[in-house]
Amino acid sequence: MNLLDMIILGFENLWRTKLRTTLTVIGVVVGIGALTSMISFGTGMQKNITDAFRNNDLFTSLTVTSEKIDIQQMMSGNFERDTIVEDAVPLTDSLVLAIQQIPGVEIAFPEVTFPAKLRLGNAETNTTVQAVPAQFGEFKPYNDLLGGSFFSHDSAAAAVIRWETLRRMKLVADDPENPVTLTAKDSLDGVKIIAIDSIVGKNINLISAVIHLPRMPLNPIRVMQVFEEDPFTEKVTPLRITGILKRSSPFTSNIFSGGILIPMKTADQIPRVSFETVLDFLSNSENRGKYQTIHVRVNEIKDLEPVRMKLVEMGVEVFTITDQFKELKRGFLIMDTILGAIGTIALFVASLGIINTMIMSILERTRDIGIMKAIGGAESDIRKIFFVEAASIGFLGALFGLILGWGVTRVANVVANTKLIPQGEAPIDLFYFPLWLILGAVAFSMVVSLAAGLYPAIRAARIDPVKALRHD
Amino acid sequence: MNGTPEIPLIRISRLSKSYFKGEVEIPALRDVTFAVNRGEIFSIVGKSGSGKSTLLNLIGGLDHATSGEIIFEERNLSRMKRAELALHRRFSVGMIFQSFNLIPSRTALENVSLALTFGGIPRRLRKKRSIELLDQVGLGARLTHKPSELSGGEAQRVAIARALANNPKVLLADEPTGNLDSITSEEIIALLLALNQEKGITILLVTHDQETAEKVSKAVIRLKDGEIVNR
Repeated sequence: MNLLDMIILGFENLWRTKLRTTLTVIGVVVGIGALTSMISFGTGMQKNITDAFRNNDLFTSLTVTSEKIDIQQMMSGNFERDTIVEDAVPLTDSLVLAIQQIPGVEIAFPEVTFPAKLRLGNAETNTTVQAVPAQFGEFKPYNDLLGGSFFSHDSAAAAVIRWETLRRMKLVADDPENPVTLTAKDSLDGVKIIAIDSIVGKNINLISAVIHLPRMPLNPIRVMQVFEEDPFTEKVTPLRITGILKRSSPFTSNIFSGGILIPMKTADQIPRVSFETVLDFLSNSENRGKYQTIHVRVNEIKDLEPVRMKLVEMGVEVFTITDQFKELKRGFLIMDTILGAIGTIALFVASLGIINTMIMSILERTRDIGIMKAIGGAESDIRKIFFVEAASIGFLGALFGLILGWGVTRVANVVANTKLIPQGEAPIDLFYFPLWLILGAVAFSMVVSLAAGLYPAIRAARIDPVKALRHD
Repeated sequence: MNGTPEIPLIRISRLSKSYFKGEVEIPALRDVTFAVNRGEIFSIVGKSGSGKSTLLNLIGGLDHATSGEIIFEERNLSRMKRAELALHRRFSVGMIFQSFNLIPSRTALENVSLALTFGGIPRRLRKKRSIELLDQVGLGARLTHKPSELSGGEAQRVAIARALANNPKVLLADEPTGNLDSITSEEIIALLLALNQEKGITILLVTHDQETAEKVSKAVIRLKDGEIVNR
């Protein structure tokens, strides 16, 4: 008896008890549906985050800081000396240049950010300005803008604006890839959809505050004198918008938080209060470096470790996303395991259904089994016929279970997106069905079904044909 | 008679079979010895409970003897493992029962075909061979009928076709006419006789009907309470 014969015989037998077979298969369908939708959520999350990291070249990025900052201490407002190490290497322009010379480093530049107000026509918003080198236009995600292009040189009077920043100004740039729809509330608020072309090339006014302060005096009475005159004045810098960044997804982990990007040298020309001076101001330190952070990008992922070693030798603190990613991966593994376990419970319950169905089937077919033995069916044949029946239930269950799981995740995804899109997020796919999940689900379902069919099959094979032939 | 009468097809010596009901031993066969030659129709006559079906089940390899030997073509059934007995049932014997024992959910063709499936006949040859077998028993026109749609005589013909599927050495017929009216019974007996005469197939016939046994067989044994009482 070959496999095809057994499969045909198995299906014939299942088909004869359609209702019971269907109900048993539904049990497996629910189990596999639960299992695959759960795991596809886990893998979907992981894929979204990994993709976001990759799309932003975060695996080739390092962040250099000067001191070991005890974040918890700082969060609790403690800026005492023990939270900031005094003899740390200061981050200066010469250090940036030195880092740039390390083999494998593609680019190194200091983080320069400052708060400013943006004005485009009548629309205004407050944001953080981020200065980046023009060379950055070559890297992900800045090489792929929603519209326009990255600024061409470091002293251009130009800016690349974030889609979200425009939206805060009630200007929704049309997104051909993921068409934007406005809610009723948006319309009431006066939010408008505008063409990308009508933004790119326009001038935007960057209004920075200028503070005229001496160093913070140690004498509290003199602090009052500092604030006697209004130390703030506004400075307007017109910049041409050369490009709009793509919408970010909830998973985008962008190292740059700025709402608008401007060239490094242009930023140097803009008078402003920078966060550095505020920190300096607070820490009251005389010998600080010029920068808080230096961003480094390496040529390839393999350059990351050597460059990190070099930087550590230089005495600075280095942070890479890879460190966190390892932790994250472990987290995902735990999440997948928990989600998988829940699905497996459902499948386990379904396997009890299979056992029940198969035993019922043996009771009903005792005489048939006796006949099969009498005309030459070996125990192994009978066993295999029942195994094939159990495996067929598992296979059908997996097939329709995958369809159910996929359907459920599609619906869940639509629901999630209807909540996210009105908040200005780009549509996301929360779930992911990789090939290994599909094949794994089928294999797992069949293994569970075979295990469930084990006892019934052995029992069927051991039926005494003499008794079975007398059975009614 | 053709074949080689000096070497019997089946030699049974001092065969006993007991069933146990709890601790109580119920003997079904006691010390039975006889031989069946190739090509003959051998009849075993006895009343219900005389042990004749038990004897047939032992020869058919459906059951193990308590003691004694069944030598089938020089092979000792008592020493066979379960898998070997399955091969014995598949290729050496063809069984026919009083209650036909067709699988109710399968058509006449499928019932015959199932035996061929166990016999390892390739799928493409099975249908053709099943039709030939059913034609041979005069059922060429009832191929797609299920057992419930067949008369008793027709059902027994399907069972005979199925028993012949893998060219057995012997047909073991356990009261094949027990559920049939007298006319149909005669037809089935005639069919068995024809198979014996035309194909030379050995038949071991179990019946309670002394008259039929004596009509078709030269060799008749009578069983009573599990023992051979005369020849």
